[in-house]
Amino acid sequence: MSQVLVITSGKGGVGKTTTTANIGVGLAMRGNKVALIDTDTGLRNLDLLLGLENRILYDLVDVTSGRVQYKKALVRHKKYENLYLLPTSQIKDKSAVTPEQLVKLCEEMKKEFDFIIIDCPAGIEQGFQTAIAPAETALIVTTPEISAVRDGDKIIGELGRAEKEDVKLIVNRIRPQMVEKGDMLDMSDIDEILSIACIGQVPDDENVVVATNRGEPVITMSDSMAGQAYKNIVARLCGESVPFLKPQKEGFFARLKKLFGLM
Amino acid sequence: MNDIVTIKGLKYGLQLTFAKGASFEDIQANLLEKLESGNGFFLRGTTVFVPKDHFAEEQNEILRRMFHRHGMLFSTELKRPNLAPPQRDEKSSAKKFRESVEEAQKMMVINRTVRGGQEVKVNCSVLICGNVNPGAQIIAGGSIDVRGTCRGFVHAGAFGDKTAFVVADRLMPSQIRIADIIARAPDEPEQVSQAERAMIRDNMIIFEPVAR
Repeated sequence: MSQVLVITSGKGGVGKTTTTANIGVGLAMRGNKVALIDTDTGLRNLDLLLGLENRILYDLVDVTSGRVQYKKALVRHKKYENLYLLPTSQIKDKSAVTPEQLVKLCEEMKKEFDFIIIDCPAGIEQGFQTAIAPAETALIVTTPEISAVRDGDKIIGELGRAEKEDVKLIVNRIRPQMVEKGDMLDMSDIDEILSIACIGQVPDDENVVVATNRGEPVITMSDSMAGQAYKNIVARLCGESVPFLKPQKEGFFARLKKLFGLM
Repeated sequence: MNDIVTIKGLKYGLQLTFAKGASFEDIQANLLEKLESGNGFFLRGTTVFVPKDHFAEEQNEILRRMFHRHGMLFSTELKRPNLAPPQRDEKSSAKKFRESVEEAQKMMVINRTVRGGQEVKVNCSVLICGNVNPGAQIIAGGSIDVRGTCRGFVHAGAFGDKTAFVVADRLMPSQIRIADIIARAPDEPEQVSQAERAMIRDNMIIFEPVAR
């Protein structure tokens, strides 16, 4: 049974595209056939994170306007052969794709793919409305900042208005040391406001920046905390129950373990 | 000091009489004090009658201005021929009042969390089974009851009902208004552990714990 997920946040810069790329790769690594659709028309980034920019021939606007079949626009990932990207146009803007067009496209693609993941643009305007239209499940990405949580709340409200009831939360860029000192919102603070099921807690990790620049999502790095967190999210999406990482202890114990050569 | 001015209620307004020998300055200061104290006598739109020949014309003018500033009419004539027929007026306003009371006694039930950017606007009272998140707005003609945490903006008694109240399991609104009185959250948010009710007392919004 194929699933259509949308990854959204309201606020920009919280890691929607990074999350999309990592979950996409993670699901593909498990053998699923995955399509990623970038709907951030005019500001596309997903191709960069996957290292696929120079392979793009056609884009989403070409497909929805009927110029080409969607299969022609798909870019296959160089390493994970059952991962495909449907990039968007860098020239057009958000008004170039309508919700109806994207729904129709996803209906067609569902026959081929196990997972279709839509990378949503920031904001709550037309781009957002288009991106969420075909989705059955929405993953809200937020960071432990008051502004991101506030925007996430707004987005959940908007999703409710669009009758999307299956909404899950991913908290990105958690800095355990700051949480411990009380300088950063912790999970209970976020949960108090958003009160939706959380399927991911991703620690802030320098490896993400390295991975982004290299065009290889962090989930492929075996020694990265963020990569492990994304693997857990993927497992939870596949219905497994995985405990959340305990980053608070990690800082201290990991150092101890390293000291004794255990890691 | 209080005997300088005597107020007597009449059918169409208030009759003022002044103590013998009181200076105009004293009377003026006394009246101003009474006006600003907001003791309920001087409602907007009330006509105030002053004995005709008590003051000089320019003093009357000063008083007239002072009452005008406070939304009242000033007259030296006991009869006001240009008043609208009082009987009918009273009836229709009484009807309006009764309707507004009936409206405020109705209650709307919202069975979800009201999230940031969402707004609930009702003429009656409202019961919210869920949280009111920061950035959300609840505006009700009657009272507001939140079965959850209230962090948003709430306005009870939006049509001026000062008996309206706001009650929540955890009442920590960013701003709260009851009728025309406004209060905002302290800059240093405090933890609330008990259900509280906010209402007007002495023209201020007060919070008091309630058992639920």
